[in-house]
Amino acid sequence: MKMDFRFRSLESRIVTLFLVLIVAVQLIGLLVIQRGIDNNARLAISAELNNGAKVFSRLLEQNAQSLRFGARLLARDTAFVAAIGNNDESDRATIESALENSGRRIKASLSMLINDERKITATTNPAQSAALEKMALSLLDAAEAADGAIGIAIVDHRPFQIVAMPVKAPITIGWIVMTFPIDRQLANDMREVSALHTTVLTRDQQGKWLQAGSTFVGPSAQAVVDQLQTLGPTKPALPFDMTVETAQYSARLLSIGEDNGQTASVLLARSIDEATAEYRRLERWLVGLTLAGIVASVLAIVFTAKRIAQPISALVTTAKRLEGGDYKTPIDSTREDEIGQLAHAFDAMREGISKREQEIRRLAYWDTLTNLPNRAQFVLLLNDALLEANRRGEAVFVLMMDLDRFKHVNDVMGHSFGDALLRQVAGRLQLLLANRRQSSAQVARLGGDEFAVLLPAANTDAAQAMAAEILLALETPLSLEDQMVDIGAGLGIAGYPDHADDGETLLSMAEVAMYTAKQRNDGAVIYDAAMDKGSAKSLSLLTELRNAVERNEFRLHVQPKISLESGKVVGMEALVRWVHPERGNVFPDEFIPFAEQTGFIRVLTRWVMERSAELCRELASKGHHLKVSVNLSTRDLLDQDLPAKFAELLAQHKLTPGSFCLEITESAIMDDPVRAQLTLERLSAMGLDLSIDDFGTGYSSLAYLKRLPVNELKIDKSFVLNMEKDEGDTKIVRSTIDLGHNMGLRVVAEGIESEAVWRLLAELGCDQGQGYFMSRPIPGDQMIAWLEKWQAPVMIAAPVETEETIDS
Amino acid sequence: MPGCLRRNVVVSFLFAPAVAGATGIAVQVQDATGKVLPDTVIYIEAEGGAASGKPGTALIEQKGLKFLPLVTVVQTGAMINFPNNDKVRHHIYSFSPAHKFDQKLYSGQAASPQVFDKAGTVVLGCNIHDKMIAYIKVVDTPYFAKTDGAGAVRIDLPAAGKYVVKAWHYNTVGGATPEQVLTVKTGELATAIFKLPMKPIVVGDPGT
Repeated sequence: MKMDFRFRSLESRIVTLFLVLIVAVQLIGLLVIQRGIDNNARLAISAELNNGAKVFSRLLEQNAQSLRFGARLLARDTAFVAAIGNNDESDRATIESALENSGRRIKASLSMLINDERKITATTNPAQSAALEKMALSLLDAAEAADGAIGIAIVDHRPFQIVAMPVKAPITIGWIVMTFPIDRQLANDMREVSALHTTVLTRDQQGKWLQAGSTFVGPSAQAVVDQLQTLGPTKPALPFDMTVETAQYSARLLSIGEDNGQTASVLLARSIDEATAEYRRLERWLVGLTLAGIVASVLAIVFTAKRIAQPISALVTTAKRLEGGDYKTPIDSTREDEIGQLAHAFDAMREGISKREQEIRRLAYWDTLTNLPNRAQFVLLLNDALLEANRRGEAVFVLMMDLDRFKHVNDVMGHSFGDALLRQVAGRLQLLLANRRQSSAQVARLGGDEFAVLLPAANTDAAQAMAAEILLALETPLSLEDQMVDIGAGLGIAGYPDHADDGETLLSMAEVAMYTAKQRNDGAVIYDAAMDKGSAKSLSLLTELRNAVERNEFRLHVQPKISLESGKVVGMEALVRWVHPERGNVFPDEFIPFAEQTGFIRVLTRWVMERSAELCRELASKGHHLKVSVNLSTRDLLDQDLPAKFAELLAQHKLTPGSFCLEITESAIMDDPVRAQLTLERLSAMGLDLSIDDFGTGYSSLAYLKRLPVNELKIDKSFVLNMEKDEGDTKIVRSTIDLGHNMGLRVVAEGIESEAVWRLLAELGCDQGQGYFMSRPIPGDQMIAWLEKWQAPVMIAAPVETEETIDS
Repeated sequence: MPGCLRRNVVVSFLFAPAVAGATGIAVQVQDATGKVLPDTVIYIEAEGGAASGKPGTALIEQKGLKFLPLVTVVQTGAMINFPNNDKVRHHIYSFSPAHKFDQKLYSGQAASPQVFDKAGTVVLGCNIHDKMIAYIKVVDTPYFAKTDGAGAVRIDLPAAGKYVVKAWHYNTVGGATPEQVLTVKTGELATAIFKLPMKPIVVGDPGT
């Protein structure tokens, strides 16, 4: 699992989100605490400075007390008072020595006596006392009033505490004045008790600061003065920051007194670094803890994210494997959390898909009825076999077969019977292949009643032998539901590399060969290129036939049927003609058999019946009541719906059933006599005339003829055409007429091309006739005109004209 | 201290026999703000001639750690006794130039009387008790008195004439002693009003 900076992966998202949150929380916490510490430190420093100021004031006060006490002690000394009171010049030395003695006791820098006239009368330091005189005198009244007064004096930029104490005897007779320097000593004392750097400063009238003693040494002390100088004349009331030689200080300036425009101040400074040292240590701990916390959290987050995301990506891999079609590898679903459930669901899905795919594969490649491979699988097998054969230089043969009359069986016996039959055929084919022990041979059901066998690594002889075996196997009647069913098959053979290179082509070739076999009724047929041409032509013909209906290319022709005795027109045979836009007139022989083969004949029959009905109606309206004969094919006869269709047609055109005669060939009946009879009986029951067409050419079964509800026999024209010259034909015709009459049937002769034949037939007792002598088939719309000018030769009663009327 | 006052008056009368419609001077003393000032010494000197008279005696007792009275006025040559009526001993002294003395620790009547023979102001103190103070005004005239509680005093004079009236109070600024010249007629009472500049009264001042 790689870290993707675009946060595509769940893991990186989780990690990033929580990381950012934790770092943010930690940093904010750290900042808040740091600020708190900072504020605390500042407050502590401020408090320290505040206390420092108090301490310093107290220190000054203490000094003042000491000073006051010393002065008072002297002022109360009786002898000293007496010395002053005596006011004797001789006592001056005594007084001075007393002042000095007392001053030294309390470490005063100066002691002096001022008399009641406010003149300095004695001093221990004349020079200094002169400078202090003004300040001293200003204190006297206050001193007298309050028994001593304290002030700050500044001499030579150095501040002093000055005390004035009245000497009373008992009225004030003078004042003792003592001074005490505020200097480095005091600063040091201050530093000792408060840990604050202390600097005593004065500022003269020009605003220039000077230090008079500091706990800072050398340049540091000067730096303090310099910084104060930059602050300007305004004295900051609040603590302010200053830098003394790289060290940071918070400082507070205290004014302690003023003398003649000069001010004395004390600067208390607290090293920030020292004050916050403990806090810094705490801070370092905090930072350390924060970092440790972040690291621990990151590890926990990454671990958790991996625990969540890794199984998911494992499932992704699994899903991809499923996508690729691998349903066999089971998915690990031992976890009990949501991921485990997901994996479990995945596994269930995998099994489900796997089963369904097997089912789909089975449905796709297996025929469910016979459990044989279906067409799709057969094509796959065939292609595989072709590849194999191509590699080995072998031949592959495809055998395709179609059961004869299966449709009839299916229609008559029902579909379940048909299915059972197919299963039996499939069983026989499988058994056959199993017995041959040629494992590579494959049988498949292609659909309907079509089966195919694949013969890899074979030759033509083997294929033919196989075909023979199959046909032999099918010769044995099948026993189904206590019925014996005869079943035959047409079989086509095509082979690689003789006929084609690819499977589909091979299959279609085998099919062509199969149809040929069926047409020829020839068992097994090997493909030949010539067959294919026919089949291709047929295919295009079917298309053209379909188009012909749409394009209205069919024309209805009729050939009159005439009573040979009276010469009257009694009927007409409806015939179809195809006027092809390119090929011109196409003869029925060219497309009727094909139409029958493909089933298109039903469409055609329907078309003919429609047109015939219309014509019949039209002629009737003109007074010509003619019976129309329509040809029915085998397919028509097998159509169960035909009687219903006919009834509908008659009703539609308001025609009686007697207006129609339906002509059926013998072979059409023989194809499926049972069903044909069924249909014919229903038609006959409706009142329609039925006629046996082309009588005498097929395998006529007189038994059938007896059973069928037939009204008419049509003698095939091949007997009629030559009967004038051929004695044999005449005998056949005569016999047929007799047969028909004997069975109570009307007998019609076709192919009358001469009056002589007419007369001969009439002599033989034939009822009706049709042929070129009377009329060729003519377009239906010309029928009325023809009827108008028709004159029967018999009516003329003239000698027989032996003119041959031949098609022009 | 009416007793004291009376005594002085009595002394005056000794040398100025009373006549009907007594000849004298009445003085009213106030401070700058018009407040009456008791215990102000008023003394009158005849212009041009020194009056004679017999200096008397006076008494300043110590009682309750105080000098009583606070202010005493005597004629030059007068003798003052200092009886100690306290149970503690005192050590009274004066560094005043008019009369310096030092009476070491004593009690009862042990202190010797002092003769004040020089005009001026004598301040008494006690070396043991700093707060004890007393003022003695020594004057060269027999006509003197202290103002009463109303700041007023009347001094009879033996004869009409011109007189210099002086007023002294221990607490004036710079010890000022203003004076007025009055002509006194026989049988009449001349009047004078003094307004004295006073030092501010200090709390804890032993004089108050």
